[in-house]
Amino acid sequence: MKQIAVLVSASKHPISGLPRHHHNDSLALRLGLNLANKHAATLQVLHAGNADNPALQDYLALGASQIDVISATGNMLEKLAAQLQNVDLILTGTRAENGEDSGLLPYLLAAKLNFPVIAGALELRLNKEQDKVEVLQFLPKGQRRHVVVALPAVVAVHPLAPIELRFVHAQRSLGNINNISNQQSDVEVSIPTTWIAEPPRKAIKLKAQTKQTGHERLMDVIGSKSKAGTVVNDGNNVEKAQVILRYLREHQLTKF
Amino acid sequence: MTIRINLKRINAKRPQQTSPAGLKRVVLAATVKPEAAHPPKFTRTPAKPKNRLLVIAHSIKGALDDHALQTIAAAAILADAQTAVSVMVLGGLKQDLLEKLGIAGADEVMVLPTLDFQVFQPDVELATILDVIESLKPLRILMPDNANGDGDLGRRLIAHKQLTAATYVVEINAKHVATYQVGGNVLARSELPEVILLAPNTVESELPFTAKATRVDAPVVADATAQTKNQYQDLGLQASIANDIALEEADFIVSAGNGVANLTTLATLAEALGASVGASRVVVDDGKLPRDKQIGATGKTVTASTYMAVGISGAVQHLQGIKDCRHVIAINKDASAPMIKRADLSIIGDAEAIMHALIAELEKAKVNKVAQ
Ligand SMILES: Cc1cc2nc3c(=O)[nH]c(=O)nc-3n(C[C@H](O)[C@H](O)[C@H](O)COP(=O)(O)OP(=O)(O)OC[C@H]3O[C@@H](n4cnc5c(N)ncnc54)[C@H](O)[C@@H]3O)c2cc1C
Ligand SMILES: Nc1ncnc2c1ncn2[C@@H]1O[C@H](COP(=O)(O)O)[C@@H](O)[C@H]1O
Repeated sequence: MKQIAVLVSASKHPISGLPRHHHNDSLALRLGLNLANKHAATLQVLHAGNADNPALQDYLALGASQIDVISATGNMLEKLAAQLQNVDLILTGTRAENGEDSGLLPYLLAAKLNFPVIAGALELRLNKEQDKVEVLQFLPKGQRRHVVVALPAVVAVHPLAPIELRFVHAQRSLGNINNISNQQSDVEVSIPTTWIAEPPRKAIKLKAQTKQTGHERLMDVIGSKSKAGTVVNDGNNVEKAQVILRYLREHQLTKF
Repeated sequence: MTIRINLKRINAKRPQQTSPAGLKRVVLAATVKPEAAHPPKFTRTPAKPKNRLLVIAHSIKGALDDHALQTIAAAAILADAQTAVSVMVLGGLKQDLLEKLGIAGADEVMVLPTLDFQVFQPDVELATILDVIESLKPLRILMPDNANGDGDLGRRLIAHKQLTAATYVVEINAKHVATYQVGGNVLARSELPEVILLAPNTVESELPFTAKATRVDAPVVADATAQTKNQYQDLGLQASIANDIALEEADFIVSAGNGVANLTTLATLAEALGASVGASRVVVDDGKLPRDKQIGATGKTVTASTYMAVGISGAVQHLQGIKDCRHVIAINKDASAPMIKRADLSIIGDAEAIMHALIAELEKAKVNKVAQ
């Protein structure tokens, strides 16, 4: 493996609105830096957007020595893909905070480049031959999975990846932000869903039309409708314990 | 001057009963009339559907979770009289759960047991759903946007077929979908796209109608699916140690209430079951367990498949935190505790003694398993 690329987007502080790094992308950057150090690979940090965005300096403070910036107008995907032809491993975050935030970018990029993609990465490491990457993948309910895939590949890092971020603020001004916007002609965007932006509000739940009494609606809200479950009153403690165990087995809730 | 109010003092705590007719005070020794059964719901399933909405979701342990059922309900609400809701279950489905999919609004159900979520084989899954889409030509595809494989598969489908799509959808109705963008600073709206990945709890899954939930074979081209090479090598699942993970993530919680005399017994039981430990507020307030174990309105909201409530009365504030738990097992000495109404299985008796008996039974079961 020779080339690693990390895609970093920008974000804003939710209250002050000040530009800052995107935490999840910083985790991806840190993982990329660690891998590049370990395997003496080169690391390209890539951002599509505005080179003047102060948020980018956060990534310099995190240890990136240079950030390549391409303009985000036109077909950003096409431009990113053009930059990433010869890369062995592309790391991204899971969901951006500065655009459509769809979590689609890693998948679109992988489809474009014809690379495999693994999402939800908590840890990654390369095999001895350095031609495969092993990913520890996040699954809900405390489960984890190990998946191996051949390089080149796209790996989206999970926001809960156990990595400590350390900012060295002196590096803010040492690093280099390199504007490489090329004047490619703009092609149409690949996913043609059109969006109308509105100020945020609480989303409205979809409900089938029903006639309900006020009492039923109240019970719905507090969720304490009687479920009429089984109630076991009789028997000794051992029998009662067996009832529980039988229930757990019946619903495959225990291994025993 | 004295003001005399001629009101009889009424004990607010006298016996009561809530029913669809409202709150009823129980008159002791009076005969209780049985509640009128709900009128049967009508069946929505169109006889000769012209169109289809396709719902795709992985099953977990042979069942679809609430999020998946909500996605089916969304399709059923959006479907017009000529449109059928086809559900594709990736992974096995227990036979007795078919009816449940009907209640959720599924007209047709395809089950593909080999595509279990336990195995990571997105290439094979994508090839299979492409076959089904090709043959059914659905108007739209709806999937739960979760981390159980559906969010991943949905995004692969969108990227592969370059379809119009909306992900993390928080609002859906007959006209539009909406999702938060720009870090939550914008609620973006779009017309209903071809693929909709739905966030949890965006739909009320209780419907005023039912559907037939007929089992049908998936129109899959077996050859093509068998030929798809899985480029991903799955080295298997690894369960974390239950007490290391946050309660919100736990799949099995044994929870302690004020009726638990000995927390060591409860911890031993939790360990034997491979479960995490939770608690009611009283236990936490007493300093017996740390604050991060508290479940309820002012504590954590949990989504465990199994919630064992030991010596917990089931106050509304506590029940709020376990709304999404699928299997609730109560151990309580009081058969009239509200928790008993919420529970799927209630054992009436002394918590300490029952916990000891259960620990002993589990030990026995483990020994038997090793002996086999
Ligand atoms: C604003 C507000 C917020 C709150 N938020 C929360 C919250 O987030 N979470 C929360 O849990 N509570 C919360 N509460 C408190 C809640 O109302 C209840 O007081 C609390 O949940 C009761 O805890 P408990 O069931 O453990 O105790 P109790 O109500 O004392 O119930 C103990 C239960 O154990 C049973 N029992 C006793 N001895 C035995 C035995 N030997 N064997 C078997 N069973 C036995 C009893 O029958 C009883 O049902 C809140 C209250 C308020 C006002
Ligand atoms: N403008 C951008 N520049 C660089 N990387 C980006 C950009 N937008 C998104 N990404 C990457 O793609 C991931 C997923 O973003 P999205 O699919 O837009 O939600 C992010 O976590 C980033 O790693």
